[in-house]
Amino acid sequence: MTGRRTIHLVDDDEAVRQSVAFLLSTYDVDVVTYPSGEIFLAGRADATPGCLMLDIRMPDLDGLEIQRRLADESFDWPVIFLTGHGDVRIAVEAMQNGAVDFVEKPFYGARLFEAVDCAFRHFDRTNAARRATQLLSTLSERERQVLVALVDGLSNKAIARSLGISARTVEAHRAHIMGKLHAESFADVLRIALTADKGLVSIIDHSRQLSPCR
Amino acid sequence: MASFSPPVALFARAMPPIGTAPADPETREALALFATHVADRAVLLTDPDGAILFCNDGTERLFGYDPRHLVGCDVADLMTGDVQQARRDRHRAIRATTVRFETRCLHVGCGPFDADVTITPIPGDGGRLRAFGYSIVDISDRKAAERKLAESEAHMRSVLATVPDAMVVIDDRGRIQSFSAAAERLFGYREAELVGSNVSVLMPLDHRARHDAYISRYLRTGEQRIIGSGRIVVARRKDGSEFPMELSVGEAKSGNGRIFTGFIRDLSDQQRAELRVRELQDELIHVSRLSAMGTMASTLAHELNQPLTAIAAYLEAARRLVCQTAHDGTRVGEAMDAAGREALRAGQIVRRLRTFVARGENERQVEPLAPLIEDASRLALTGAREFGVRAFIKLDPAADDVFADRVQVQQVLVNLIRNALDAMRGAAVADLTIRTRRDGDVIRISVIDTGSGLPSAQIPRLFEAFATTKPDGLGLGLSISRTIVEAHGGRIWAEAGAVSGSIFHFTLPAARSGSGS
Repeated sequence: MTGRRTIHLVDDDEAVRQSVAFLLSTYDVDVVTYPSGEIFLAGRADATPGCLMLDIRMPDLDGLEIQRRLADESFDWPVIFLTGHGDVRIAVEAMQNGAVDFVEKPFYGARLFEAVDCAFRHFDRTNAARRATQLLSTLSERERQVLVALVDGLSNKAIARSLGISARTVEAHRAHIMGKLHAESFADVLRIALTADKGLVSIIDHSRQLSPCR
Repeated sequence: MASFSPPVALFARAMPPIGTAPADPETREALALFATHVADRAVLLTDPDGAILFCNDGTERLFGYDPRHLVGCDVADLMTGDVQQARRDRHRAIRATTVRFETRCLHVGCGPFDADVTITPIPGDGGRLRAFGYSIVDISDRKAAERKLAESEAHMRSVLATVPDAMVVIDDRGRIQSFSAAAERLFGYREAELVGSNVSVLMPLDHRARHDAYISRYLRTGEQRIIGSGRIVVARRKDGSEFPMELSVGEAKSGNGRIFTGFIRDLSDQQRAELRVRELQDELIHVSRLSAMGTMASTLAHELNQPLTAIAAYLEAARRLVCQTAHDGTRVGEAMDAAGREALRAGQIVRRLRTFVARGENERQVEPLAPLIEDASRLALTGAREFGVRAFIKLDPAADDVFADRVQVQQVLVNLIRNALDAMRGAAVADLTIRTRRDGDVIRISVIDTGSGLPSAQIPRLFEAFATTKPDGLGLGLSISRTIVEAHGGRIWAEAGAVSGSIFHFTLPAARSGSGS
């Protein structure tokens, strides 16, 4: 949630690229511009992660097509669309494909910044979820079972009983979990568990025999 | 009147002397011989009652009778046979010294003929009426000629009365000789008012003085300005109103000088109709231009949106920079400069569009071709880049200026280019080429695409109204393009491309005559 925010802007119109980059630079956002979708796709592997801002109407590869191709590669940067047309159909399609916002040209700076903020919140959430998922993946099977039970609000004794282990052992697992998740409090543990990519679903899947699914 | 016998006493009193007969017997005899043998007329003497006393050789020629057999016959038998009429004629001759009239006479073999008859009473001793002298001349040839002339004049009159075009005949001094019925209707004058007047009364005041000079120049130089060819001029009615007319003048030489016949056709209605047609055509061309821009509206809106977006972004950025306590003036200046440039760019787009949709003056003038094509293709190619179209413009330096209505020619170009873009949608290669070439006195402009091409069956009908190859086309674009090109004296046609696609050509008159190279 820290560091420079970077936006990757793809628009075939040079004036639009330069002006939007200029404007965003006053909003403390770094902008990398690309005159076409192909150039962005070719260079994105080495690009600083951030948000993607796509013009809808462009020669060859239009914005929706770029979004579609990225979706195939399970690319998870938030996408903002820029368009000269209030075309509801295009907007709906873009949003259904997971765009975070849709900004009509020309726009007020505030409107663009709102979209940018929204996209970076998204970006930060995604990053946090990725980190949480990563952290959770370091837990052992048994630790995961304990964590699910803890999130479900069971007491140490109840967990010990349901897992057939001693309460002391539950205590030990709990301490390990806090350590592995770099949590300073149990509240931190809960936050990480809930921000993980798909919440606790993956964990629940593994612990189905212990915890009845809702 | 009651008595047809001449009252001799009265005659005696009234009888004036008629010349002096030659006293010399030889001369008298010669005179008698002359009268007897003169062949071009019949010379007869009758007694006071009309019985023939003598007739000469000419009588035989005129009437076919042996003169000897005529002696004693009533002279009336040689004419209409009306004895009483013959007596009245003699009576008139007595009262008037001599009488001359035309009548019908009868040739015994050939039938009636026209004759000129002179009757002269011849006094005897003591003023007594001695005889009547008849001199009869055959005038049937002259009468026939006169009849013919009268007929042709009547014919002429009837033609004059019925020709739909007004006709005015003037002499070589410009005086009106005749004025047809149609001319009377057209100008509001009666023929009688005008005959003898100078024809310039039919002209607008400012032309009047010049007409006499025109005629005298023609008579002097023989140089024909209007004779033999029609010309459109303005005429003036009796009520002072003026109207356009087509005037054709013919010339004829008559016995005493020349006459000029002017045929006049009133063009008011025709010109009104032509004007209306032109107005409607202009309207259609204009509407179709609007409609062409209508179909491009979303593309143009997009095109305008780009600079507007940039302007808004630069200004917002500049505002934010200015609000910072320690702002960087250079950056603000940069943003302002860029915003200004983009505003001008937007203005250019609007200017092109506005010129294009404006109701033009429909004025043809010398137009440099390069900027005309440049503007039209910019407009027409708006948004084309998004479909991956590459555009090429190849201008022949010899094809520089055309004589044309700029906007209308741009309309043709926009139409052809938009068609080409439509045809190339989805094509693997989408290259559009606009080429100019000079062909003598005309400039040929070609729009070449690599699109789907034309079905050859469509080519002949392409330029007809409502013929369209597009599912949502009205089929007016090409027909209006043809209207425009043909109004410019050019030609428009289509052909299949060398490899793929199609080529549309049209020609315009070059502003400068061809140099050949």
